[in-house]
Amino acid sequence: MTTATTVRPHRVTPARVLRSEWHKLWTIRSTWINLVATSALTLGMGVGISAAYDGTGEGGLDTVVFVLLGTQFATINLAVLGILATAGEYSTGQIRATMTAVPRRLPVLWAKAAVLAAVALPLCLWTNLLTFPLAQAFLTDTDQSAALGDPGVLRGLAGNAAALTLLTVMALGLGAVTRSIPIATGTYIGLVMIVPEVLSMLPYAVVDDAVGYFPAQALESLTAARPAPDALSPGAALLALALWAAVSLAAAATTLRRRDV
Amino acid sequence: MITAQDLTKRYGDRTVVTDLSFTVRPGTVTGFLGPNGAGKSTTMRMILGLDAPTRGHATIGDRSYAAHPAPLTEVGALLEARSVHPGRTAFHHLRALAHTHGIPKSRVEHVLGLTGLTEVADRRVKGYSLGMGQRLGIAAALLGDPATVILDEPVNGLDPEGVLWIRTLLKSLAAEGRTVLVSSHLMSETALTADHLVIIGRGRLLADTTVTDFVRRSGAGTVKVVTPQAADLVRHLTAPGVTVTAEGPGHLTVHGTDAEHIGRTAAAHGIPLFELTPSTASLEEAFMDLTHDAVEYPAALEGAAA
Repeated sequence: MTTATTVRPHRVTPARVLRSEWHKLWTIRSTWINLVATSALTLGMGVGISAAYDGTGEGGLDTVVFVLLGTQFATINLAVLGILATAGEYSTGQIRATMTAVPRRLPVLWAKAAVLAAVALPLCLWTNLLTFPLAQAFLTDTDQSAALGDPGVLRGLAGNAAALTLLTVMALGLGAVTRSIPIATGTYIGLVMIVPEVLSMLPYAVVDDAVGYFPAQALESLTAARPAPDALSPGAALLALALWAAVSLAAAATTLRRRDV
Repeated sequence: MITAQDLTKRYGDRTVVTDLSFTVRPGTVTGFLGPNGAGKSTTMRMILGLDAPTRGHATIGDRSYAAHPAPLTEVGALLEARSVHPGRTAFHHLRALAHTHGIPKSRVEHVLGLTGLTEVADRRVKGYSLGMGQRLGIAAALLGDPATVILDEPVNGLDPEGVLWIRTLLKSLAAEGRTVLVSSHLMSETALTADHLVIIGRGRLLADTTVTDFVRRSGAGTVKVVTPQAADLVRHLTAPGVTVTAEGPGHLTVHGTDAEHIGRTAAAHGIPLFELTPSTASLEEAFMDLTHDAVEYPAALEGAAA
């Protein structure tokens, strides 16, 4: 009765696992809501604060950082998407089906990270490239006025997208390590928003330097068209974020191999 | 063929499965029985590589489950706990699993039809009843047209029609030459479909036997006889289909005939009987006897009665 359609023994390959994870991502409604919201919030905030800007008072802020203030929502939204991709499978039980299909386990982690990065990077890049000119339309004749061709602007817009992508991958790793949506979210928010704030209150210069390498600080260094003199260089910031993502993924891989599903 | 060799699983200081060895052969339905908490699910998870054994190993054919290049075509499994994202439709859930092996869309549609889910395939799983969830789990298990099928408590939550459907399915899967391992905590249900039995309690093997053997030894349908002239009685009772076992001096257990026939035979030959007791033990009772000491939290029936 089950042999009516013949199924030839098909091997599991990395490309097939990738295709499976791609399919999984797009067949959950919350993915669409999350991505549309991420893009809309960046665009809306950028245009909104630019339209309301009276031309003074924000002189200290970098132009790209100012226009992309809405990407602060993206640092949370995309992280949630990453956490749902891993920790979410444990909370629903889906992980048992996933790991039964791919019992070698690790290809699933790499596929999830690759799929999410392949979605987050272009989404953030296009959103940023759209937000900047639209916001600038309201900023002519202010101290925040700049053009796409100005030094550092394109690099800042692209750097921001790269940083957000790496943060998403880092969050995905946290989800796989903790296997819990609330714990992973808490850890992420602590690491990105709370710990560096607390550390920077300490009166030691060495701590101040170290804080610059934290995810949110590296993100800002990477976003700025003209990085502040005491901040990391864009190259160093990108490297720091790549390391955060790599360490998180490595911890996730170790957990996945060693622990029972 | 599934082979479990000295499987042992410890969680901290709690040992869930201890030195469990058994073999599940192709072409038969093997019932995997034990009270709740006996370690059935843990054993199945170890066979599937979801849990790593503390000691020992399980193989499917010639290697471990994870070592197979196309695992879903080797083993299809329905686990006890639901393993589906509730926000995805049945079709997309199966499609995502199928993609990992390059299994075509036509096969996804086929197993949906086979399990009677075609009409609800585009609904999200969160709206499914327990029975529909079980059917989806079985559809996922059959997706790779596997040589071995492992089902953990498949009749849980099914209506009578669904239970009947499962029985027929299990038998036809075995008839196609597949290896079928199905767990249950109900002996009576299992006896209807299984040929072979692996019974465990508190993670230890209690019996590895056939259903026929278990029924015979369970004492169901036997008569206990006590007589001073045992040898005479045995001689007169001897007939095709009647077996008599000596339990001790003067104590006999007779299988294959009833108390009335034994009583009349004894009277006809002037053989005194001290005891003539038909055994009323059912299959379920025999199973409970076997597993009694291995029940995790025995109900305090005697205490309640006193």
